[in-house]
Amino acid sequence: MLSQKLIENVLHAALSKGGDFAEIFVEDKLSTRIRLVGGLIENNISGRDYGVGIRIFDKLNCIYAYTNDSSEENLIKVAKEAAAALKSAPMDLTLNFLKGNDRDINPIKIIPSTVDKKNKVGLMKRAYEVAKNYDPSITQVIVNYLDEDQKVLIANTEGVLAEDRRVRTRFSVASVAAKNGEMQEGFYGPGASMGFEFFDKIDVEEVAREASRIAKTMIDADYCPSGVMPVIMDNEFGGVLFHEACGHGLEAAFVSKGTSVFANKLGQLVASPLVTAIDDGTIPNGWGSTNIDDEGTPTQKNILIENGILKSYLIDKLNGRRMGMESTGSGRRQSYKFAPTSRMNNTYIAAGDSSLEEIIANTEWGLYAKKLGGGSVNPATGDFNFAVMEGYLVENGKIVKPVRGATLIGNGLKVLELIDMVGRELDLGQGMCGAESGSIPANVGQPPLRIKSLTVGGRKEDK
Amino acid sequence: MDYRQLSQEILNRGKEKFQDLEVFIQNSKEIEIRVFKGEVDKYGISESGGLSLRGISNEKMGYSYTEKLDESSIDMLIDEAYENSKYIDSPDKEIIFEGSDEYQEVKIKPGNLTSIPAEEKIQFLLDLEREALGMDKRVSSIQMCAYQEFQSERYIMNTKGVDLSDNNSGAFVYISVIVKDGEDTKTGLSYRIFNDFNEIDYKEMAKEAVEEGLSLLGASPIESGSYPIVFKNTVFSDILSAFGSIFSADQVQKGLSLLKDKIGKEIACDLLTVVEDPFLANGFYSRSFDDEGHKTMYKKIIDKGVLKTYLYNLKTAKKDGVESTGNGSRGSYKSPISIGPTNVYVEKGDKSLEELISSIDKGLYIINVEGLHSGLNEVSGDYSLSAYGYEIEDGKIKRPVNQITIAGNFFETLMDIEAIGNDLEFSMPMFGYVGSPSIKVKKLSISGE
Repeated sequence: MLSQKLIENVLHAALSKGGDFAEIFVEDKLSTRIRLVGGLIENNISGRDYGVGIRIFDKLNCIYAYTNDSSEENLIKVAKEAAAALKSAPMDLTLNFLKGNDRDINPIKIIPSTVDKKNKVGLMKRAYEVAKNYDPSITQVIVNYLDEDQKVLIANTEGVLAEDRRVRTRFSVASVAAKNGEMQEGFYGPGASMGFEFFDKIDVEEVAREASRIAKTMIDADYCPSGVMPVIMDNEFGGVLFHEACGHGLEAAFVSKGTSVFANKLGQLVASPLVTAIDDGTIPNGWGSTNIDDEGTPTQKNILIENGILKSYLIDKLNGRRMGMESTGSGRRQSYKFAPTSRMNNTYIAAGDSSLEEIIANTEWGLYAKKLGGGSVNPATGDFNFAVMEGYLVENGKIVKPVRGATLIGNGLKVLELIDMVGRELDLGQGMCGAESGSIPANVGQPPLRIKSLTVGGRKEDK
Repeated sequence: MDYRQLSQEILNRGKEKFQDLEVFIQNSKEIEIRVFKGEVDKYGISESGGLSLRGISNEKMGYSYTEKLDESSIDMLIDEAYENSKYIDSPDKEIIFEGSDEYQEVKIKPGNLTSIPAEEKIQFLLDLEREALGMDKRVSSIQMCAYQEFQSERYIMNTKGVDLSDNNSGAFVYISVIVKDGEDTKTGLSYRIFNDFNEIDYKEMAKEAVEEGLSLLGASPIESGSYPIVFKNTVFSDILSAFGSIFSADQVQKGLSLLKDKIGKEIACDLLTVVEDPFLANGFYSRSFDDEGHKTMYKKIIDKGVLKTYLYNLKTAKKDGVESTGNGSRGSYKSPISIGPTNVYVEKGDKSLEELISSIDKGLYIINVEGLHSGLNEVSGDYSLSAYGYEIEDGKIKRPVNQITIAGNFFETLMDIEAIGNDLEFSMPMFGYVGSPSIKVKKLSISGE
């Protein structure tokens, strides 16, 4: 993407006023987004993101600059402007690029840009028909198609000169059901680090039915009761629980500064012994998988919590310096516009040995959260929240009726201790995770599990 | 190649394939500074931008964009936009605008951000951090102490004769402190949005953040039930902003807003007036033309509880047989035209915050909500948000409350407003620049213990 000579010159310019590490990140990304509303293609936009980020470390200080103009003249200028924030003597630099990338954990069969848009549009229309005709209560359906093909080059003064290509495809359906002046929405949006062959793996009609099924179920649902109760969370996107309650708190960005509730807790029991949690950037074709992270470090499978004991954090280079620890291949960023920091890839709680049926049968009264929406957390306090998209009331070990409008809140350190049943059927769900270094694709996951008691925010007060 | 020349070249060449075309360019320069423990932790500088092309061929609009702004991108832009247009089958009439007759000038007080040296900005943050850390023994560390500044420019040029440009600038300072008392950890924050560096005071900000954090120590949930609520000004503006799409004509026309058929009808308590003012002095989103080149205009969206208008762009206005309200908006050059607000605020009432609080026997003063991107549904109006604040008893703040949710339906909440404060404040711009005074609501469901 850039010549080795140019890269060397930029890295030299970046360290011309001191500093002990310099990095260049080049990104060239093609994306296509198509949107269908009410059966008709409404928008169809494609384009190219292109830019270069230059980063300098001076011990624990980080300087970051980016630009769209990758001419040698401009890159040297930007590198020197960034270096101007430092006031020391130039660092003696011998560049020897030995660390490349020869992995291919996300093999791609069909590059999206080689596929006729007619085929993409065709899938969307098929999904629309199925979603719309699912039930008379479905009044509106929106289908979104996304593909992107991101090429990156990362080089640094530690000898990394690596390229990676990240191809991703996502397909989502949002269905709206209406009745008596009320509306409810159902959403389902699978994605993967795959090309157009993704559609051999998923059935768009099933995606459509799932979105409409949720909307239809929720329009007929009563409001969720509020209060503290046992909560059963199903697999797949239920993993947003661990992602918010704990995952962000394990990111070195917070841990290294002591601003996470999980700081200084390595080796300690932080969860129920039933909990083993993993972040794995190497799952083949996983939505959050890459060969190398956005700092050029190969991704890896990190055991975060094993049988309740905290084993590892998620670490990037800069925060690793602060902690005196190696990167775990977790340095990620949305684009060249962001300096990378520690982030999750594909994070999940490992399978246990109960079945979902057993968990429900063992619950006298509580909430079964079948589908969850998004959430957020304050890593300093550990307080988290997330939304239930599809919920059911459980009474005497049986699902009795659907309930809507619930939010779950709690505290990360406490909630992991309260997990008292873990199921067998592990599955992952796809989401976009937003934090300091932008919005990135990440898998969340878990088997079905039960939390002994959690605050459920609903609108119905009496039990 | 300069932008004008490049744009002209694209328009000229694109004429072969399109009836009409438009180029939209956004550029920005940004500075970001963060300090941690008395040192600059991060220093970021950037200059970037992008160009979007859209064109009408056979009455269909195709879009493309690029961040590689040079001669080599021209053919790709035209070919992609043309190819994309072929698949559009929405029957709505697409419009490349010929321009408004006149544009009202925005009178913004010129900022001084670029003339302040970086050292002074860094010093401000160092002072802010030190002040906050030294204020109380229970301040254990600083979660974030950051400054962000941007200068942006916008160009719209099309084959109908529109040739417009403007620029905007602004900055934020943000501090979030962590306070600890034994195992009890809380955070407190303070931020400022400004265009004049002399307007901000680090001592005031440090005090605000630390006091908020300390006041929350010892917080616990409240018994679940239904309580009257006072929303802090910035909390209500965040919620209003998150529900902003209910006013979009596009959402209404697609059957995704419950405000359909509600023009001229009472949708809120008669104390409530919501204004959109694109000419607001110091308005973060002040502008004289929208992203389609249409003039912007002052309007009341809700007047004394009655819904007066939706927000329109050209396409949705044509569909409803009305004029565009100047709300054509693109998130960026990567997004197609949609609808967005500029500066929107709830007109202030006549009660002080103390009066709102003192009117409640038993209730809550909510100072923060979380989960706005997930815990509310713009289509149904339902929301359930994690919240914290204080319990009110006999008209006075009694104690801090956390680990609760507040739940309701926004359309019902608008009707349930009982009093409006006189303390209008704008919150961090997200979807528009939105402000509100503190607001008292009759009752909401609280889930706690």
